[in-house]
Amino acid sequence: MPHTQLIDDLKRIVGPNGVVANPDALMTYDADGCVMDIGEPQVVVLPTTAEQVSGVVRLAARYGVPIVPRGAGTGLSGGATPITGGIVVSTARMDRILQVDTRNGRVLCQPGVINWELSNYLKPYGYQFAPDPSSQKACTVGGNIANNSGGPHCLKYGITASHVLGVEMVLPDGQIIWTGEGAPALSGYDLTGVVTGSEGTIGLVTAAWLKLTRLPEAVRVVLALFPTIAGASATVSQVIAGGFLPAALEIMDRLAIKAVNDMYRLGLPEQADAALLIEVDGVEDGLDDLLADVTAVCWRNGAIDVRPARTLAEQNQVWAARKNAFGAMGRLAPTYYLVDTVVPRTRLPYTMEQVGRISAEYRLPIANVFHAGDGNLHPIILFDRRDSSQNQRALEAATGVMQVSIEQGGVISGEHGIGVEKQDYMTLLFSTDDLAAMAGLHQSFDPNDLFNPGKVFPKGRGCGELAALRRAGVAWESLKHGVN
Amino acid sequence: MMSGLQQQLAELVGETNLSADGAAHAIHGQLPTLVVTPGSVEELAQSMALCYEARMPVVPWGGGTRQLWGRPLSATSFVVIKTTRLNRLLTYEPDDLTISVEAGMTLGHLDQLLAANNQMLPLDAPWPERTTIGGLLATAIDGPRRPGYGTARDLLIGIRVVEATGRISKAGGMVVKNVSGFDMMKLYLGSLGTLAIIVSANFKLLPQPRATGTLACSFAQPAAAFAFAEAIRASYLTPAAVEYLEGWPVEAAATTITMLVRIEGLPAAVERHVRDLSGMAAHAGATAVQRDPPAELGLAWAQVANVAHPLTATPGELSLRLSCLPGALEQTLAVLRDLARRQGLLLRIDARALSGMAYLRLVGDEETLRGWYTAALALHPQLSLIAATPALAAELPVWGVAHANLELMQRIKQEFDPDRLLNPGRYLVG
Repeated sequence: MPHTQLIDDLKRIVGPNGVVANPDALMTYDADGCVMDIGEPQVVVLPTTAEQVSGVVRLAARYGVPIVPRGAGTGLSGGATPITGGIVVSTARMDRILQVDTRNGRVLCQPGVINWELSNYLKPYGYQFAPDPSSQKACTVGGNIANNSGGPHCLKYGITASHVLGVEMVLPDGQIIWTGEGAPALSGYDLTGVVTGSEGTIGLVTAAWLKLTRLPEAVRVVLALFPTIAGASATVSQVIAGGFLPAALEIMDRLAIKAVNDMYRLGLPEQADAALLIEVDGVEDGLDDLLADVTAVCWRNGAIDVRPARTLAEQNQVWAARKNAFGAMGRLAPTYYLVDTVVPRTRLPYTMEQVGRISAEYRLPIANVFHAGDGNLHPIILFDRRDSSQNQRALEAATGVMQVSIEQGGVISGEHGIGVEKQDYMTLLFSTDDLAAMAGLHQSFDPNDLFNPGKVFPKGRGCGELAALRRAGVAWESLKHGVN
Repeated sequence: MMSGLQQQLAELVGETNLSADGAAHAIHGQLPTLVVTPGSVEELAQSMALCYEARMPVVPWGGGTRQLWGRPLSATSFVVIKTTRLNRLLTYEPDDLTISVEAGMTLGHLDQLLAANNQMLPLDAPWPERTTIGGLLATAIDGPRRPGYGTARDLLIGIRVVEATGRISKAGGMVVKNVSGFDMMKLYLGSLGTLAIIVSANFKLLPQPRATGTLACSFAQPAAAFAFAEAIRASYLTPAAVEYLEGWPVEAAATTITMLVRIEGLPAAVERHVRDLSGMAAHAGATAVQRDPPAELGLAWAQVANVAHPLTATPGELSLRLSCLPGALEQTLAVLRDLARRQGLLLRIDARALSGMAYLRLVGDEETLRGWYTAALALHPQLSLIAATPALAAELPVWGVAHANLELMQRIKQEFDPDRLLNPGRYLVG
């Protein structure tokens, strides 16, 4: 296929300013936040409308070239990495908030809107977009939808999928569809639900009606310090089991405390092995009682200090430290590998112990900053990528974390997605039949495997092959003959 | 004489779990050839495989409370597969606030298990003593506490299904946050058994609230009641349920309007809500505000939840569901009410006032009901008939009109059930 022809055709669709083909510039797009895998795109386009996206997708289908959707590129699983080349479709220029409709509890925005900017925009109306990933100052709502990525406040307000009311998306055949606009319980299959978290493999979202969440009347934040991470983890398990409903429960360990202290001058005692950030919100009435109850659990589990963030400025500082902790990791090591897994919340103390063991075993420091209330771990393996031995050990340590999480009844991604990073671990969690059902869903949207190919499904177990297995009725044959 | 399929099924599940008497399992008057009640997921899967081999259509059946929903079957003979013996608790770790149960467990049974640990799954489906978890999920029915806790869509964290061929697959897990693989839960939820039969489900749970309260606010006019709802929406208050009832309970006059508000949470927060809500109701023009109304008023939450879905189709009665944007609810109801009055029909309304969902009950002669539904669909296409006589269910567009994305949905159906064996003809798709 003549490369220049493709580029000319693309320029006709999105305009000359919407096409990036310069080899130096293309390098910016060869990976997302996951640095373990890279792949060079043939070309990058930056459309501004759904019609342009549709035109690009139709063209790609004609050329048989893959489409790789990309938001801000903050993803940590390689979801936006053009692993098999193709056309990267960046939503960077689709960044407008189109309509705030408080009466219907919804906001319409384009996929390239930055999560943080959306919530700031909504503040004067008295609302927020509740999902708040730690990367919210950079990540886009399109990426949040693609990876079902939430943040600390999912604990109370639910996962991102619960905040997506309907989307406009371009299907792999170029068709533009709307899946809903905010009316509940439409007849028919829940297309909004299945596209959320599908990692750009079945559709490219070009606009979304998102749910507005009322800002609470009152918020209280405290930071509880513990001599051990076990104490903090046990506190979280007991707060959940005790039926308290905080808005967020976030843990930072000693390494993370040190990093954010250096960066934000929080003055947290570095002899503390763990800091637990607790937020409660709601109407003013009863909030102090709730906080007192939760604080009592902290003391019972050996807290050495419980520091309330009294003013809004103090609260913001604590939250900034928590959410920018990943950025502060650069102070500790040249590279970090953030592993996202989830375990049942009672398994948290044991799992954290195992993370400590893995750190020792692979001789790599591991920092922990995570959504403890949801059981969502984020061990951050610190290493130097230029050292191949460290590189290898980091990968093995990450595998260790995934294995422990699965052994404890957990899963291998809570909010970052599978992408290419974890595709080969999918078989640890799912049988061929489980994967084949997912492949069936995928095939009904993308029969030619053009959208973000080579992601989510295990390598060498492409969705085309899995779907063919289903159609051949292999499992049915084995059932009929009573073998497994 | 026993057919080959009957014999094979009898050998599989045992004679006592197979019945050729379909009368108790009629769907819009259509009788199944066989009713099979497997005792395990594996037996259910093998039953499905046998039916698949014989290309025999299958109707999944839980508590049978929602079999009125949907069009008549497009098949002339079919087998009912019941999940009632799949009623086991699989995993319950109270301290994790998660549970996994088989699909044939009733919601009432599940509620009991959870109550023993001061926990809840706040779905409020109608007829909980009969409604099974599988049926609740396949129909995606909601309950009054939708504003406070959402629906099954928000609380379902894992699922296991059996596909038409008998293949067993799962998705999700036992954790509250998960993006490991596609969210197949959303696909099966509300698909009316047309893609697979749900055999088990995992949920995230909530602690039971420490305090609760209910306010019954009476209004003379719908506009005043909706002004109250709008005031709630614009406030900081977070009631668990805000139910608009017009003409309920049945003993009341058709023009009786009650806004029933449920509050759950910390004791101080509940008191604050009661205080503020009472004031807001009065300000909106409430004629009476009563805290925790006595049972004889017929406004107990369990009764209110049942209103949406009648168990039988009564001649001269039509039950339907309306879905719209929350802010359009008052106006949409006004239009439909007006239409009913002009045609001399009695209309009762149960609406989730903050959610854009309403359940309507119309009483009148069949000819007028038919005309009303057709005219109503022209004004508002997102209606669904949830109980009607077999004749009306066969004739009227049960799932509403003007649907988007049917072709894509058909492709999904084609992928999962190419032979159209699962609940054929009953849903919008398939």
